[in-house]
Amino acid sequence: MTKSMMRFAVTASLLLALAASAQQKKTNSAAKGPATPAAVTDPSKPIAITGGKLLTMTHGTIENGVLVIENGKITVVGASGSVKVPANAQVIDAKGMTVYPGLIDSETHLGLTEISAEKNTNDLVESSDEIMPNMHVADAFHAETMLIPVARFNGITNAIVAPDSGDTLPGQDSFIQLAGADATQMLLVRDIAMPLNFTGKQRRNESFTTAQYPQTRMGMAAQMRQAFVDAQGYVTKWDEYYKKKAAMKTGDPLPTSPPHDLKLEALLPYLDGKKPVIVKAEEPSDVETAYALAQEFKLKMVLDGLTQSQSIYDKIAEWKLPVIVGSIYDAPKEWERYDAVYKMPGELAKRGVKIAFASFDAHQVRNLPYAAGFAVAFGLPYDEAMKALTLYPAQIWGVDDQLGSLDVGKTANVVVANGDPLDVKTDVKHVFIQGRETPLVDRQTELRDRYSNRQ
Amino acid sequence: MLRYAILLAGCACAAAQQPSNFSATHSGHNELVIKNATLLTTTHGRIEHGSVYVKDGKIMAFGTNANAPASATVIDAEGKYVTPGIIDPHSHMALDDDVNEATNPVVPQMMMKDAFNYTDKAIYRALAGGVTSSLLLHGSADMIGGQAVVIKTKYGLDRDQMLFPGAPQSIKFASGENPKRVFGEKKQLPSTRMGNFEVMRDAFTQAKDYQRQWAEYDEKLKRGDKNATMPKKDLKLEALSQVLQGKMLVQIHCYRADEFLTEIAIANEFGYKIRAFHHALEAYKVPEALAKNGIAIATFADWWGYKYEAWDAIPWNAVMAMRAGVRVAIKSDSDDHMRRLNQEAAKTMRYGGATEDEAMEMLTINPAWIIGVDDKTGSIDTGKDADLVLWTGYPLSTTGVPERVWIDGDLYFDRALPGLGMPQFQEGQ
Repeated sequence: MTKSMMRFAVTASLLLALAASAQQKKTNSAAKGPATPAAVTDPSKPIAITGGKLLTMTHGTIENGVLVIENGKITVVGASGSVKVPANAQVIDAKGMTVYPGLIDSETHLGLTEISAEKNTNDLVESSDEIMPNMHVADAFHAETMLIPVARFNGITNAIVAPDSGDTLPGQDSFIQLAGADATQMLLVRDIAMPLNFTGKQRRNESFTTAQYPQTRMGMAAQMRQAFVDAQGYVTKWDEYYKKKAAMKTGDPLPTSPPHDLKLEALLPYLDGKKPVIVKAEEPSDVETAYALAQEFKLKMVLDGLTQSQSIYDKIAEWKLPVIVGSIYDAPKEWERYDAVYKMPGELAKRGVKIAFASFDAHQVRNLPYAAGFAVAFGLPYDEAMKALTLYPAQIWGVDDQLGSLDVGKTANVVVANGDPLDVKTDVKHVFIQGRETPLVDRQTELRDRYSNRQ
Repeated sequence: MLRYAILLAGCACAAAQQPSNFSATHSGHNELVIKNATLLTTTHGRIEHGSVYVKDGKIMAFGTNANAPASATVIDAEGKYVTPGIIDPHSHMALDDDVNEATNPVVPQMMMKDAFNYTDKAIYRALAGGVTSSLLLHGSADMIGGQAVVIKTKYGLDRDQMLFPGAPQSIKFASGENPKRVFGEKKQLPSTRMGNFEVMRDAFTQAKDYQRQWAEYDEKLKRGDKNATMPKKDLKLEALSQVLQGKMLVQIHCYRADEFLTEIAIANEFGYKIRAFHHALEAYKVPEALAKNGIAIATFADWWGYKYEAWDAIPWNAVMAMRAGVRVAIKSDSDDHMRRLNQEAAKTMRYGGATEDEAMEMLTINPAWIIGVDDKTGSIDTGKDADLVLWTGYPLSTTGVPERVWIDGDLYFDRALPGLGMPQFQEGQ
């Protein structure tokens, strides 16, 4: 056994021991009674959330509203007294509470990392090559990660899982829901989109002695262009093959089929414009280069990042593309005002750009709503901030027929909290995912309870 | 430690009685009264419709009936909040990455002041977030890494004008994963926690020897021994001797519960006091040990999982430790978080139910105590430095942001101004 293997063995056994003792604790506290989390609602019966302030996203705010969940769907939304509550409904009194759609985080690494500094717990990016569209985060997604319940604790119900941005084309994102029996249930849409990163971080330029292609942005662009051209050539080759095959007459020699290439095949839905590429860039020059490259191949685009692009907001607005903003916590340039990046969501929204927020993180997904709240302090209208966490991402990801608002017929991803969803002091009280209430218990609440009750 | 307490208490009295004695480094000519504000004083709770009268860089009066002469500039803060300036007890800004002299695990002779780049715009961004004082610490690669510098965030002034006058000297120790990784990767001692602590014991044993050699030398001189040879002056051991003499505030980067206990045992063994554990993410597991020894913590509100020793971090840590009697501060350790520490402190109201006053303590007076400047700043009190923040809305929230920041009574940040919003500094200066 090598040293590093031994360390892993120790770590793993510690983790197991911890998990076991957490389990033990659960049993103990259940036996004792008081520390047990409040019993959650029964999903097989209707659930009525009454008296709360409903932030519907599509038809304004309903003060003193009623929302009914049945069979995983929202079946009733309306003002108290104006709608009927099923007689057998379990009632959650939400008086003084805010009720809103589950929040959607448009870029996370959930399920790809556990402890950032522990290599063996990370599957963030395949850095052996820069062109890796055939990497599917769905293949690495660790459904049992301790991080998901922590994120859920704050009302995040859905997320994009993306590989780390170390490659220009690092693979394909999945759209998940933060509850389910296993990975199959949680991975709602596999390969929903493909990141196209152009921030300079993808260069292999650590030093002249260790530098590899692509050492520069020119190299990054040339390499990606070649990949897309190759994919086009691949399509042509197969088309020709099928044509030949179709035109074959009896006795003709069988045409030779071209070899399959998973890398190039992975690019095809994007060349067809069927799925979006998520173009991540920060500097104006990078944004324009990446945009031009995507235009060249007629790719369907969602912009991402843009943290240093204040000077071209007008141009970006003219492109009429949705934008995943931020992180708004990125530092401004040395010469810039302190709030240059904080203001970005407000400035883009003012120009009519559809924006969505993201945590760009795994451990701190729970803090997603606060970025939107902070953007409000710097000029983003409140309603836009809420929509940028719910309706807009649902639209951008093509799931707005199911998610993103409190509307009859939609999937019941619903959150009940004791205040403004965008404020740090607000406590989330109930989280429903597909109409099923998820207990607000995670590894951290278990540690809290264990050490609160220690002798 | 006792010596410190006495020293600090002495200062507090002097400051209260003679506020105008501290005016060496600021212009101090500002005379202003902020009126109609909601004051979150930290030490006297919340005062609605309050005023603060500032003169000669000091808070001269505050409250609902604070009288100010007609000569004072009036600032109407109707609907707004005024708090003491935020104190960040753990920052690495303005050090240009010169945070670790990681060529040796014990380098107490390193002075962060020598690396302090006072032109770093990070200071301005902290200021714009309401931070008025920061403890700039070395990194955590070394077990004993160097002597910190305390600054006021007077961006635009010269280096020495930014140093906090009269602030005691802090020294930073580390422990856990970082030193053992950094030196372990080089196949050097320490590469384990056993190695970490032995390196420290060894250093303090040397320092004790050093002290004894000098004491013996002094004794020989006293006895008239003409052949007495003066021991070699060693800056490293000199610095450690000062720690042993209680002349420095010991700030220890430490994550795990077991390591707090070992650190306390070593401190007791060698006879120095620990001022604060920094990060201290497992303080909630052994809060009594910290409280009993008078050790504060400077912690994150909710960071976790970035390394194995941060795996048991929980956002209730701050409040659980506080309820057990530990003095708790929320710190940044980040050029990002230092810009919105108020939000981080507000998280303690959600996780564990800290009161408004308790959250304010974690943001102002407790970090001021950790740095040793709580007699001068960290609350709205008569005689204290006029380090004040005017907020657009409730500061313990996501949406309340600083509108103006005064340090020693001078306005350093004003959101309404064009450009950078700094009356004391123009770009290109």
